[in-house]
Amino acid sequence: MLWLYIHFPNLLLECVSRDTNDQRPLVISEGWQGNVYQASPKAQQGGVRPGMRLKTAVNLVPELAIIEMDALFEQQALEAQARWLYRQAAHISLHPPSGLLAEVTSLKRLHGGLRPLWQRLEHEIRRRALTGQIATGLTPGAAQCLAQTNAGTCTEDADILTRNMQALGIEMAGLSAKATNRLAKLGLLTLGDVFKLSSHDIARRLEPETLHRLQQIQGTRPDLQTYWQPPHRFYQRIDFAYDIEHSTGLLFPLQRALAELEADLQWRQQDTDHLNLSFHHRNRADTSLALRTAGPEHRSTEFLALARIRLEQLNLDAPTQAMTLTVSRFIPRQHTTAVDLLGSGPCPDEAWQSLISRLQARLGEQAIRTLTCYPDHRPEKAWAPRTLERTAKPDVINGSDLPHRPLWLLRSPQTLHSPPRVWLSGPERISGGWWDGERVQRDYYIALLPSGQLAWLFRDAGGGWFIHGWFG
Amino acid sequence: MKELLDTLLQDARVWQARHHTPASGHMELTGHAPLDHQLKGIGWPIGALTECFLEAAGIGELQLLLPLIRRQSKKDKFVFWLNPPHTPYAPALAREGVQLSQIVTLQTQRTADTLWALENCLRSPATGLVMAWCGYLQPRDIRKLQLAAEAGGGLCVLFRNPQAARNSSAAALRLELSPSRDRQLSIRILKCRGGGSVGDCTLPLADRAPTQEASLNCVVKGPWPEPPIPKHAP
Repeated sequence: MLWLYIHFPNLLLECVSRDTNDQRPLVISEGWQGNVYQASPKAQQGGVRPGMRLKTAVNLVPELAIIEMDALFEQQALEAQARWLYRQAAHISLHPPSGLLAEVTSLKRLHGGLRPLWQRLEHEIRRRALTGQIATGLTPGAAQCLAQTNAGTCTEDADILTRNMQALGIEMAGLSAKATNRLAKLGLLTLGDVFKLSSHDIARRLEPETLHRLQQIQGTRPDLQTYWQPPHRFYQRIDFAYDIEHSTGLLFPLQRALAELEADLQWRQQDTDHLNLSFHHRNRADTSLALRTAGPEHRSTEFLALARIRLEQLNLDAPTQAMTLTVSRFIPRQHTTAVDLLGSGPCPDEAWQSLISRLQARLGEQAIRTLTCYPDHRPEKAWAPRTLERTAKPDVINGSDLPHRPLWLLRSPQTLHSPPRVWLSGPERISGGWWDGERVQRDYYIALLPSGQLAWLFRDAGGGWFIHGWFG
Repeated sequence: MKELLDTLLQDARVWQARHHTPASGHMELTGHAPLDHQLKGIGWPIGALTECFLEAAGIGELQLLLPLIRRQSKKDKFVFWLNPPHTPYAPALAREGVQLSQIVTLQTQRTADTLWALENCLRSPATGLVMAWCGYLQPRDIRKLQLAAEAGGGLCVLFRNPQAARNSSAAALRLELSPSRDRQLSIRILKCRGGGSVGDCTLPLADRAPTQEASLNCVVKGPWPEPPIPKHAP
């Protein structure tokens, strides 16, 4: 079996720095008092090295931007890489903090050999502005050691792979520091030297874990992998190197997350209509923002247009440190058919959805309503505003059964101040509502007012006269 | 002079406005014969603005548009009501044969939002008709809306205050609506692009409310000093 391992040496650093235009030197630190964990090329030019004390690093490069390491974020960043790798390979496993392992023997036919797959992976890594060291190996352990040493070559030849592996230094085998030290003192500097010894000899001198590890690298002991399955939700977190103060500044980093979402939805062949954005602040509760589309959607440009409208309206109370995009609602994709064979002319449903989404984003969902009838005698209860949803079947209303009513209904009845000029019709008594406590008892008339307006008037039980509608 | 005119009229190169026939199939007749006659068969301008100037609701302004609303809703096009002064009454619309699922009301708070919504609605191919009740509009806003209407190819009717009629506007059709005797609607055409002359017409919209002469003596006394009609004797 052939295994492929991708090692991301600067995963956390690159995830942070790729979304910013700021070119200041940057380090990831292990706590505010700890050591430098990862350092950007700019910081390395100034003499900062991973493993160095943070205080020393700050003295070397005073303008250094520091981000505290977050194990959870590192795990999430690795999972984000696993998501796209899962599209290329079926059996993958996560090797935290920064490695992914894939079984490639079964994939060679799909991708047309190892080289196209290798190039594909290199392209995917480059597209995400990351550094990835790829290596193949005959065992998971061997592939991992080769990748971490950046000694991988695109080959499946067992002899070359064995030779490469045997040339690796003993310190790359991932053994405990004590065991590495012990082996070095014995004069065993490469893995090849160690493999020349019999397992019986190693077991006598070193602890059993070391032997297990060495045998797994060599392939004489099975190395069971737990295969990873993508979660049924989309989650992307973007940490900013520098706090973002204006909500419109969030659009640029959001673009990448939405493109990632589109690729994910495309791969799932699903749509969504609900995006959750969350902005994290220092020492404050998060700001969350729900983006809704009027219908199932998967295109990042549409999401981005909606996000732009919402972000323009959003006032951030505090600078934003990080942003997360979560999608947990997926809708099976329904293939819309084009209007004609050549697909000319936009699909009306699509135009409609995009328009309604934009209106809802800018004006709020309460501002857009459609109307529906309701079987009630009371005029104000005989209709109801309804939120917009594109139902497949509109309700069928037999209009001829309905009584004659004015086209305009006043939001609340207005007092009638002057007598009408001409009385046209009436009275029509409407009495009801005893069942829900909103009782009405009114006599309705139609009359022409002196202003020339045709009004729907009523006289209530108390003898007051009111205008309730206009025959517009 | 007469001969000169006659020779000119026989010249095929001279285009005469009275022979102008608008392209058929791309026409939205108003559905009211007197107005269609006055507009010379052009109907509601497609992909352009129409302005209606009126003092107050209830004079038959919706009846004027009802044939158009009904047609657009049946064609599965959407009819937007932007900031209507009152609630469009769903049972009455349903009775008139309008498909309620195609009616959308929009409510905006700020003028900037109003213009934005109006422009977006107009630009969308899903829109059949936009009716808007806006406050004061700048001439440049009107021009912008006119461009949006041209881009979308929909119809847009702006209901405005009669004071605004004095200002020039880029709208293709401008109508001044006022109540006339016998519940009629009197329409003065202030401007009609491509329609030649402007004029007046009156639409008989009296049947928009039912009349029952017989029961009128039932009207009881109102808040006014004298009862307009004698009180019904029990």
